Amino acid sequence: MEQFKEIRIFSEGRGELFQPPDLDGFRAYVRRHKVKGLVNKVVTEQEAVMKLVQDGDYLVYDCNMFQRGPSLLVREIIRQGKKNLGVAGKFTYMDIALLVAGGCVDRIDVGFIGVGLAPVTKAIRESRVRLTEWSNSAMTMRLLAGAMGMPFIPASFLGGTDVYAHSAAKTIEDPYTGRETILLPALNPDIAMIHVHQSDTYGNARVFGSDIAAWETAASSRKVIISAEEIIDTEDIRKDPGRTTIPYFLVDAVVEAPFGAYPGEMSGLYAADMDHVTLLLQAATNSDETPMLDYLERNVHSVGSNLEFLEKRVGFKRLMQLKRQAEIKEGYYP
Amino acid sequence: MTSARDFTEVEASICTAARMMEENKIYWVVGSGPPRFSLSLAKRLYAPKLVYMTEDGCMGQQTRYPLEAFMNMVCSRGNYRALGWASMNIACAHTAAGFVDYAVLATLQIDPYGNLNTSMMGDDYARPSRRFGGSGGANEMGSLAWGTIILTTIEKRKFVEKVDFVTTPGFLDGSPGARERAGLPAGTGPYRVVTPEAVFGYDEETHYMKLLGISKWVSIEEVLGNMGFEPIVPDNVEITDPPTEEELVVLRSEIDITGRTIGRGSKWISLP
Repeated sequence: MEQFKEIRIFSEGRGELFQPPDLDGFRAYVRRHKVKGLVNKVVTEQEAVMKLVQDGDYLVYDCNMFQRGPSLLVREIIRQGKKNLGVAGKFTYMDIALLVAGGCVDRIDVGFIGVGLAPVTKAIRESRVRLTEWSNSAMTMRLLAGAMGMPFIPASFLGGTDVYAHSAAKTIEDPYTGRETILLPALNPDIAMIHVHQSDTYGNARVFGSDIAAWETAASSRKVIISAEEIIDTEDIRKDPGRTTIPYFLVDAVVEAPFGAYPGEMSGLYAADMDHVTLLLQAATNSDETPMLDYLERNVHSVGSNLEFLEKRVGFKRLMQLKRQAEIKEGYYP
Repeated sequence: MTSARDFTEVEASICTAARMMEENKIYWVVGSGPPRFSLSLAKRLYAPKLVYMTEDGCMGQQTRYPLEAFMNMVCSRGNYRALGWASMNIACAHTAAGFVDYAVLATLQIDPYGNLNTSMMGDDYARPSRRFGGSGGANEMGSLAWGTIILTTIEKRKFVEKVDFVTTPGFLDGSPGARERAGLPAGTGPYRVVTPEAVFGYDEETHYMKLLGISKWVSIEEVLGNMGFEPIVPDNVEITDPPTEEELVVLRSEIDITGRTIGRGSKWISLP
């Protein structure tokens, strides 16, 4: 009779695993739904969010409302009143405050979720939002595992801490060395939103500058929305293929979105609007809800699209100033 | 070099930390504030070949100060003229494989074994009295770099016997091999804690915090009086030099030009 050997599990975090690994499920989804042909995927932000973001979905976005985040798509999710979203809270700040204040979120995997954000703290205390703790790299490694079709990924951090205790990581005996090894479960989100500098109509997308996890975010997620500052010709992609960050077949929708990261910075293109950032910060750190609700009314609900928001709430003059403030060009555009 | 007479507490910390930074080493630093300023100051005056990187996988940048609030990673000024632009998994990978000598961090609370809290305040995780960002990159930085340098201020509510939440591992319970048993790489852990009034290290055997130096404007008793636990106090506690005029000129005119970090809210020290 065959002798089985056992791998010991030394300990386990007691946090809730919001999006349990399901490799076969993910592969089956890809096989059935992903479009392999080179087809035009350009849609409006309204269409993209309406069609692809479902209530209850687990959402991931790359970067945040201060730097290269998909700010317009975050605002559109709130505008459409999406509910009960889970959020991969890696490297995020103001987005999470807006999404929580907008009533869209009921669970967050914490990598980093901002300091002193009143809507978030209030929602936690009132048990309207459940949290599981991770770290930024734990989250990007989980996405990497999801993107690679792996069930989990070993790590040599997180262990020994309260972060670990409130995570869903496990510590096992490494079958090769016998050493304590931490396992992070793969993460395959339902929906990903990534704002990029350029994309063609098929979704071949380019990010210029440093990166949190644009490729991992796209490659691990079932549905992927790219918002791009600029739609470029596929011939331009072919002339410089090393610049392609995300290949088209990962992508379900492409939204043309000039100033889509506003009020954040889009490196090489425009600076952050610090007046708007300050306004937002004041609203988000105020224990009185009124300024935040006023902010959402003025900048999200009372405008129908990002273009209308930019025209009516920001203005051409301000946008041109932000373009001029982006003096540093080296290294970004080819 | 002339010692300065008037400076803020934060400036004292940054300058002390800057003198600790080593040439030809690699650092992983949190986005902004005193940790990054201390590395920039060190690069400018003492260790021009020091390289630091940030969570977005930006490596060896020549940060173009000033940085606006929050604008320190994935941004053109923070990432100016770097040696490489990569991503968070790349930054973490290089650190996990042992390439990063030191992590430089800030904290809200610290215990005698160097465990750090940047997650929440309160007794009940589900009902925090204050909720903060969480780990961010701090957990992996403090786990994977060979040594960790922490910049903070001495206050009773910060230097506590037990932190409300362990976000980033120090020496955990201090027992031999505690970090390794938790799955962390061998030979890593807290190295120095830098504050305006005092510098701490750790006892090699017990891993308990040890006073190494104090600033000339305080006594050991005053330092201990502001802590929630008593560190090991050896017979030979050094006197840390105050900032030099040169350091302050660079810090004020080239690094924190706006004074947002080094000036606002920080107590002034005036030496006779």
